[in-house]
Amino acid sequence: MAALRDGDFAALQILLKAPSKEAVRQLCQECFSSPPGALGPLAQRACPGLAISAEEAEQLVSALHNLTRHVVYRGLTRAEDILCLFPENFHQNLKNLLTKIILENISAWRNEAQASQISLPRLVDMDWRVDIKTSSDSIVRMAVPTCLLQLKIQEDAALCGNNPVVSALTMELSKETLDTMLEGLGRIRDQLSAVANK
Amino acid sequence: MGLLNFTREPVPEAVSGDMHNLNQLSAQQFSALTEVLFRFLTEPKEVERFLTQLSDFAAMNKISLGPLKNIVKSILLVPNGALKRNLSSEQVRADFIALGLSEEKASYFAEQWKVNSPTLTRLAVGQTLMINQLIDMEWKFGVTAGSSELEKVGSIFLQLKLVIKKGSQLENVYVELTLPQFYSFLHEMERVKTSLESFS
Repeated sequence: MAALRDGDFAALQILLKAPSKEAVRQLCQECFSSPPGALGPLAQRACPGLAISAEEAEQLVSALHNLTRHVVYRGLTRAEDILCLFPENFHQNLKNLLTKIILENISAWRNEAQASQISLPRLVDMDWRVDIKTSSDSIVRMAVPTCLLQLKIQEDAALCGNNPVVSALTMELSKETLDTMLEGLGRIRDQLSAVANK
Repeated sequence: MGLLNFTREPVPEAVSGDMHNLNQLSAQQFSALTEVLFRFLTEPKEVERFLTQLSDFAAMNKISLGPLKNIVKSILLVPNGALKRNLSSEQVRADFIALGLSEEKASYFAEQWKVNSPTLTRLAVGQTLMINQLIDMEWKFGVTAGSSELEKVGSIFLQLKLVIKKGSQLENVYVELTLPQFYSFLHEMERVKTSLESFS
């Protein structure tokens, strides 16, 4: 996460050359979502639309990225808080436009940040089936119910980028194991409601 | 010898001789030996203890250990086959009588079989093949306080560590769940339990 730099606001004024408010909105969203490493190519794509030099494009894209990410990081939700980030002599209308665009997107951006944060492999899906074992080499006739549980687990999103690796793990649970597991899960639920009720 | 319940294959010749020797034991001796046998059957891993108890029995009753071991081998044929074929105690008794054991001793053994068979059946079921058996589950949950992208987060996460037996090795699987996923998982597991219970 990059911090706001002094030169950023100067660079942001380049947006005054933008053809429309929609173009500004679009650029803000792309700059937020892009990881720092992909800002270069993004700047190149932005050049023609804004009729600016490659260097100016890079500064602008980097500044927008920093601004949007800074607001999300701080969790700013009020217009006043965002407005005070800008320096005194910043173009009034542009300042209001950027604040408006940011406020519109803030909660979607926050969700995006949370969804892409590092974590252990995540559960994406689960399926189960119950089988009855009727025979085996140790007992010729029996009727033992057993559960097969399949968990689909996705590796850390940050590592996989756009191609998440999902692995399926199938496991077998006896009735005793299931009872013990449910006991554990019940305890978690009780603790969670104790925390929620505080 | 008529058809036996516990096996379809012909019984080794030594068995009738061993049964004859068994008949020579007093009721008390037979009962003590039966106890040693069932203790081994219900705890099959305790091989050392079983062998020690057998040699103690041999010493106390002035029987040589070698022949005693052969007798024990012959006796054990019946409960092992009976377990596989879910035999009743009457069938076990009938088989021992067919092999040459006295009625009194056969009835006694069958009675002990009836008492121990739930434990023995459970053991046999436990030995049945399981694919990727779930051995253990550990969990922790907490609050994400902040991240490099969000200064203050305050969301709850749940982490599970599942220990799975793959073949002869144990594998640890780590999974993270969100709160809604956890409640959904709990709900599904309760449905599984209901389903398993209706089939038990």
